[in-house]
Order: sequence, then C-alpha cells, then structure tokens
Amino acid sequence: MEAIWLYQFRLIVIGDSTVGKSCLIRRFTEGRFAQVSDPTVGVDFFSRLVEIEPGKRIKLQIWDTAGQERFRSITRAYYRNSVGGLLLFDITNRRSFQNVHEWLEEARSHVQPHNIVFLLVGHKCDLEPQRQVSQQEAEKLAVAYGMRYVETSARDAINVERAFTELTRDIFELVKRGDITIQEGWEGVKSGFVPNVVHSSEEVTKSDRRCLC
Amino acid sequence: MSDNEHPATDLQENVEGHVPKEPPPASHSDSSHDTQSDSSADVTPTRKTRKRPENKPPPEVQERPETASEAENASKASSQTTVSQGGWGSWGSWGKSLLSTATATVATVGQGLSQVIEKAETSLGIPSPTELSAQMEKEEEADAPSSSSEGNTGEGDGNVLGSAMGMLSSSSMGMLSSLSSVVQSTSKTVISGGLDALEFIGKKTMDVIAEGDPGFKKTKGLMNRTSTLSQVLREAKEREERQTAENVTSETEKKAHYGMLFDEFQGLSHLEALEILSRESEAKVKSVLTTLSGEELTALRDDLEQIKESFSLMEFDEEEVDDPEVDAGEDFLKELTDALKKLHISTTAERLGKARKNAFDRIMDMKIPTEAKQQPEEGSEQEATVTKCTVEDAHFSAITSLAELTARSIEQFHKVAEMLLHSTTEGVTALEQAKVLAQITVVLCKEVSMLSKKFTACLATIGSNEKGEVLNPLITGVFLEASNSASYIQDAFQLLMPVLEVSHIQTTADSSH
Repeated sequence: MEAIWLYQFRLIVIGDSTVGKSCLIRRFTEGRFAQVSDPTVGVDFFSRLVEIEPGKRIKLQIWDTAGQERFRSITRAYYRNSVGGLLLFDITNRRSFQNVHEWLEEARSHVQPHNIVFLLVGHKCDLEPQRQVSQQEAEKLAVAYGMRYVETSARDAINVERAFTELTRDIFELVKRGDITIQEGWEGVKSGFVPNVVHSSEEVTKSDRRCLC
Repeated sequence: MSDNEHPATDLQENVEGHVPKEPPPASHSDSSHDTQSDSSADVTPTRKTRKRPENKPPPEVQERPETASEAENASKASSQTTVSQGGWGSWGSWGKSLLSTATATVATVGQGLSQVIEKAETSLGIPSPTELSAQMEKEEEADAPSSSSEGNTGEGDGNVLGSAMGMLSSSSMGMLSSLSSVVQSTSKTVISGGLDALEFIGKKTMDVIAEGDPGFKKTKGLMNRTSTLSQVLREAKEREERQTAENVTSETEKKAHYGMLFDEFQGLSHLEALEILSRESEAKVKSVLTTLSGEELTALRDDLEQIKESFSLMEFDEEEVDDPEVDAGEDFLKELTDALKKLHISTTAERLGKARKNAFDRIMDMKIPTEAKQQPEEGSEQEATVTKCTVEDAHFSAITSLAELTARSIEQFHKVAEMLLHSTTEGVTALEQAKVLAQITVVLCKEVSMLSKKFTACLATIGSNEKGEVLNPLITGVFLEASNSASYIQDAFQLLMPVLEVSHIQTTADSSH
C-alpha cells in the first residue's frame, strides 16, 4: 500500500548550520527528537507520506542538506530537482535569520529554469526566553519574499506537521492548477500510481484517476 | 560492446551539467589500457574487466540431478577461462548459479531467460539459436533469424526478442553452455563483450526472471545502456509501483519488490546524489587537464592512470569462501571500519553494520519457527500465522535485506565521496584510497553473496515441502537480486573514480602552493 500516492514531491531543507534542520526532519519522519546529532555531511535523505485530503497521499522525499559552508558547493547541485523547500533559521540566533536572504538568493540562482516554493521556518520556538528574532519581524520578511511563515519546535513537536503539510498543500494546489507541471528529466514532481480497483468509497475514485500525460 | 557503441550519447548525457564543451584531451583515448579507453568520456561506469563476486547456489539447488552435469560443464569451462582471462572465472560462477537454478524453473521463468541469453549470444556474434539448439538438443526448433547473430545490438531488438518469445525454454540451458565454450575459444575483446552482455542478464531482467513474467515486451530496448544506473533502478522501481498499485486487491500485495525497497532505504537518492558528484568531478578533471601542458600534463595523466587502474583490477579472493554457517558479523564490521580508517576521512560503517545486523536478525527470526515446525503442509493463511514464516515471508526478508545492505553500501560510497571532496585528507594518497575503496567493495560484495547463500538455504529449508514451481522462482529471485546488488555496489564504486581524481588534483595543488 505504500506505493499508492498521487504525487511525489522532492523538498529541500536549507539554512545555517545548527538551526536544527535534521532534527526537524527526524521529528517529522521518525516521530522522535534526537538530543544529540552529528552535523550532516553533504546531504541525507528522508521520506514520508502525507495525506492532504482523505485518500489523497503525497510522498515527500526530503533532502536534508548540510548547513556547513564547506558543503555548500554540494548543496547547490540539489536545488534544481526540488519543487519545494523549508528555509530554517533559529529564533535564538539572529545571525541565522540575517542569512535567510543569502540562502534565498543562492537557491533562486541555482534552481533555474524551475521554481521552488519556500516556506520560512523559525525553529526552536520552545526556547522563548532566548528569542532574538520576533515573530512580526520574521513574518514581515516572509511576506516580502512571498513565503508563509511558521514557528516550529522539534523538541516539543510544535507545528512540525503543519509546516510540512502546508508546504505540501501549496505545492499540490500549484500542480493542480497547472502552474507546476511534471517534466521529463526533472525530479521535483513525480506522479504516483493510483490503483485500478479501490477498496472503499473514501479511496480515490475512478474520476480522480489522473491522466499521466 | 554497448558501452562502446554509444559513446556519443553517453557523452551528451554527461555534459548536460556543467561540462565544458572542449573535447576531451586526445591522449585519454590512446592510453593503452585495454578496457579503460572510454572511461574518460563515460560517467556511467565501464564494466569490462571487473570481476564478479563468487556466488554459488546452495547444494540443495546446485546438485539437483537434472542440473548437476550442466553445472559441472559450466564450472569446467569457467575454470579453464580463468587461466586466460582473470575476470571470467568468477562471472562463470554467477552465471552458473543463475543457470542451475533457472534450469530447475524453466517452466515459469525459462522464457524470459532464453530471450536474455539469446540477446547475450547475439551480441557475441555466436551461432544462431537454431544452430545452437540443434547442436545441443535435437528436439529444439527455434525460428530466430540467424541474421540477427551479427553483433548488432542497436536495431532489430524487437525482432530478436519477438522471435525469441517463441523459443522453448529448455534451449536456454544449451545455449548458455555453448556460450561459455565459445567464449573460451575466442579473444579477449569478445570475452569483455560477453561479460557486458552477461551483466545484462542480471541488470535489466531482474524483474522479468524473478517474477517469471512472460510479458517481456515492455522491456524494450534491452541493451540500451545510455541511461545511468539510477535511471535504470528508478524505472524498475516505478514499474514495480505501478504493478503494486494495479494489484492491491490480489494476493501479490506482499510481494517483495527490490526496486521499491531499495528506494525506501533511500538507496536511489544516495545513488542519484553520488552520480551528481561523480559527473561534476569528471567535468572538473577534464577542465583541469585542458589547462595543463607539457610535463605537468604528463605527470598528472600518469597519476590519474594509476588511480584508474585500481578501479579495474579488483581482486576477489576466491579461495576464501565464507562458511555460511558462521556468523562473521564482527569481522564484517571490523574489516569495514579498519578499511574506512585507512581513508583518513571521518566516516563510519555504523549504518552498514546495522543493515547487516538487521539481515541476520531476519535470518534468525526465520530459523526459530521453522525448526519447531512439524507439518509444513500447503501454507494456508492460518498456518502462515502459526508457523510465522512462509516461503513468501522468507523471500521478502531476503529481498529486503539485500535492498537494505545495497542501499547502505551506496550511501557509504556517497558519504565517502562527499568527504573526499570537502575535507583535506593528509597522510594518504588518492591512489592508496582507491585501493582501500576497491577492498571495501570486495568486502561488501562478499557479504551480499554470503547473505544470498544464507537466505536461499533458509528458503530451501522452509519450502522443503513446497512445489518446485513455488519455491524455485523465489530462490532464483534471491540469487538474481544478489547478483544485481553486487553490480550496483560495484557500479557505485566506479562512480568514485572521478571523485578520487579530483581529490588527487586538489591535494597536489595544495601541496605545491
């Protein structure tokens, strides 16, 4: 049954080193919080199914990139094949917020000719007392770049589902409207396979079977 | 063979990224290394002189009366050719295992196999199926056009395959036996062509043979080798997903699909990322070579040539056949860890060790209920829950374990590539690293081979009361996926070559400044 999903979206997760990218992804895909985690080397991979509407599943393939500068040249190669991304900063680390702009520039310049839908994530929101970036400030920046803004905590499992699901829904809408199309040789969006025979009425009905052309 | 036939397309595909448009330096292609000449233009690994890991089927399968004599013939042939060409011997064994199990399952899988063999034989330019089968067994009548026995792989695939569909499966045995005798008596180039063709038996037909799927037509363009490894695997996975989606209601729901499992373990992603790194490194090496001249250029070329050699001379120690009854888990991890240490980069074999442990846990889980099992009648639903392990379960465990270990192996190579490119390595040369990586590849392939032996032994025990047509395709499937796993690991290893070359160039540049 794992094989049954409507689309596969490839998402890339970027942001300064130590803002908590891997922890956020692990919370989302494995449901747990790793107290200690080694810095990511290059890129790592995770995947999970998300049900955006009853019976409609999207498979997310998540590319977890290293924040460290030395791996930057590796990361660049991966933007092109992503349809969406989470751009993380740490709300207790002002520097990581200031670098958001730089990350966006970098992504935009390497994603050509495609587009990436980004979601801005203010991470570690459980550490309220150490907050260095206000929510209003972050929201303002997100609006300026046409992104949504969500504050999350991997440790306390706050808004983790929401961050990924909202991004997935946004991309799904764009795909439905035809603003994003499946293309040969591009891994950002792949179509899945819908069963011929369905078990229940909640499952994808015949009329929902998409034409793959 | 096909590698050489499509250099243009290969090149085209590889330059798609950031490769400069300059033609590769001329001397690359006149390097005398017999099988390496096109490797500079081909990021998809060249696979001609590499040896295959030893993989013998368990005695239960191999010594079936009807196959014993053929297996013996094949073994004689392969041992003779080992003398003249090192690479053939071990492949002979892979072929042999495939062969003896396949013969036992001709009823279901023979059709697919015969087509592949015919394909292999076609590209070797050996006599047509008609002549062969007449020679081997008079009863065979194949109508494959003898004109197709030219070494032409590009066109006419449809014809060849189409007519092969009509062939009776028992001829497959005869053909492959003759194939080995032909190979034995012909030149080196033919042998490397033959290796390539035989590799296809594993690579492109895994699903077909494993599932005994006679609907072979969809695998059109069988010999099309212009695609990258990850594309091949992705296609396989997508096909399996489609099948699974189409068959949700049938009992095939729990069927083990290597490609899908491999993807679930993130093997595809790591492979794709490794391919990207390999391609970029290759472009970098090329552009560096174009900026050099004179002595500098010659020196660098010599260095790179040496590194390349380590990628073509892989030694499988055939004497040292692991006893499948001994759990050498500690050895595996220790050997890997020690080897990785010699690379002088920070990376561990932790995840590989875990994959291996998972595989052995699955084997143990299977063994306990089986031994207690008293009356393994036809496995009905109820019994399946009581005895815990059906042959399908065992097969699923085997394929899962192979997929996991292979995915982790490729992940390991991917991590090694990342570290090689993005950390300064001191106290070790790229050449030494290449040798260590070759050694790691051997360790991994041996492990795959050993796992397949253990799992098929389990399968044979659990399914001792099953009908042959149920059990044999499952056993064949495990061997095939093991053979594929070893191929993928070796292909991933080949992807590291440009990465080491770049690493070498970086180190040399660092030390000279």
